[in-house]
Amino acid sequence: MTDVGATVLMVEDEPQVRRFLRVALGTAGYIVHEAATLAAAQVAVRDGAPAVILLDLGLPDGDGIAWTRQFRTHAATPIIVISARGREEDKVNALDAGANDYLTKPFGVRELLARIRVVLRQSSGPSVDVEPDVLRFDRLEIDVAKHRIVVADAEVHLTPIEYKLLVLLARNAGRVLTHRQILKDVWGNAHGTESHHVRVHLAELRKKIESNPAQPRLIITEPGVGYRMKEPLKL
Amino acid sequence: MSATSDGAALCYGNFAPMNSRVEQARQYVAAAALVSLVSLIAVALRTMFPVPDLALLYLLAVMVVAVRYPRGPAFAASAMSVVAYDYVLVPPYFTLAVADARYWLTFAMMFGFGLIVSELATRNRRSQAVAAKLADEARDAKLRVHSEEIRSSLLSAVSHDLRTPLATITGAATTLRDQPQLDIATRDELLAAVCDEAERLERLVGDLLDMTRVDAGGLHVRRELVPMDEMIGSAFGRLERKLAPRVVHVAAPPQLALVAVDPVLFEQVFINLIENAIKYTPVTATVTVTITSTAQLVVVEFADDGPGFAAGAEAHVFEKFFRGQHQGIGGVGLGLAICRGIVEAHGGTITARNRATGGALFTLQMPRAHLPEMAVQP
Repeated sequence: MTDVGATVLMVEDEPQVRRFLRVALGTAGYIVHEAATLAAAQVAVRDGAPAVILLDLGLPDGDGIAWTRQFRTHAATPIIVISARGREEDKVNALDAGANDYLTKPFGVRELLARIRVVLRQSSGPSVDVEPDVLRFDRLEIDVAKHRIVVADAEVHLTPIEYKLLVLLARNAGRVLTHRQILKDVWGNAHGTESHHVRVHLAELRKKIESNPAQPRLIITEPGVGYRMKEPLKL
Repeated sequence: MSATSDGAALCYGNFAPMNSRVEQARQYVAAAALVSLVSLIAVALRTMFPVPDLALLYLLAVMVVAVRYPRGPAFAASAMSVVAYDYVLVPPYFTLAVADARYWLTFAMMFGFGLIVSELATRNRRSQAVAAKLADEARDAKLRVHSEEIRSSLLSAVSHDLRTPLATITGAATTLRDQPQLDIATRDELLAAVCDEAERLERLVGDLLDMTRVDAGGLHVRRELVPMDEMIGSAFGRLERKLAPRVVHVAAPPQLALVAVDPVLFEQVFINLIENAIKYTPVTATVTVTITSTAQLVVVEFADDGPGFAAGAEAHVFEKFFRGQHQGIGGVGLGLAICRGIVEAHGGTITARNRATGGALFTLQMPRAHLPEMAVQP
């Protein structure tokens, strides 16, 4: 993996969680910096130049969402927020404030490492002009140059909205997109409150690209948050 | 007090409100107004009816006042009636003089009658108020006992169910720490036990939190328009590995079955139903989910071909702490109670019964929602 040796800053006030993350991330080849407060995180970001930040949203000295918004005004370092189940609103707000992804406590190491890999690849990855013309996901093929969608060797026809929706999710494969982010990007409006538009068109899209739309495998629902396209198979 | 909507109950004894002076004045004025009204009627009817019959009109007025208001206004109404009766009905008219001595008896009877009615009405109000208070206290006491029972059964169930996985985790982890010579297979087995039990613990804590929220009525239902099959698909996706190798069939109608629900909460209904199937069906089972919709309803039938419910159990599966009779199955018996709590908080229903062909069938009904006019266009 190319990201071995990358620096991860974890901002977490629970010593036991820090201990487990230190071991898990260290073993995976990352250099781990720690901060127990937002104030300490501020210093660590300036001095340590981390490649990715793991941010717990329940810190004692402030609001991690506001911190993220503030941080995004001057830095692009990917942020993965960590929050408990039932705090979907927090997750959505953090993502809309500029966080790149989230993890729900408790989480497994495999999940954590997968998230870190995705955000690192996307932050250092190929820019749009060298992006491949064809994106492949299992039995789905998106030819961006020709606007062609092929599912299991058969061409399918998408409406313009469905096409935009699919390409947006595919370009961000592995990463969660909130309803608001999708509305903004696909519909280009800033309402951001009418998530049912996304749900309805996504349901139609699934019927066309999933082998069993009732049990989708390509586009995963993140309840209360948004959608995530499964990472493509490595070619 | 149960009769506070009536002005009468407000003015009784110890329960009288502090700012009752205005109310009292109003009652006296009302009594006077009623007596005046009766007097007007009496004058109008004086030529048609014998005077003693008209006296009954005053008695009626006194009774009305006595039933509605406390003693004071009732006395006043009695006194005013006597005076008014004398003034308008007893010759010589429109004077307080009394020509015939037998009218004094009528006056006395009218006054006495007023007193008795007023006294009876007051007593009646008092006993009603006391009875209502006693009933309130009895209900409170019963609720306290009931919630104590729930709390103690919750505590015993929870402490047992929380300690069991903790015991496994502690045992396995200390073994791994203290015995470095373990062979790989044993280490893997212990590690798997730690992971499984930690997951079980997480589920239990989640159930307890959900149940507390459902119970306290503090469910913040953030309704959005969501296709029913999206939530079902997402729930199956999450539990795919644990459900395997059971076969899953989901049949959705071609048209969109939208419901107005909190997507996070409502997905929990399906997660709990799936977890129930994982607990109570053999791995060879098939889970079949059928979504149908009418103009008004979205109906989900969630069926398995496992052992089904024991006779009579289907009526109780949604009760808290109810567990099927199968041995060695984890859980506190909250999953289905949470399902019902969430569904009902959204205005839906969920029922359970055995299928004719064997296995359990849960039927969930929700009001169907429809798309508003598309405000956003590409």
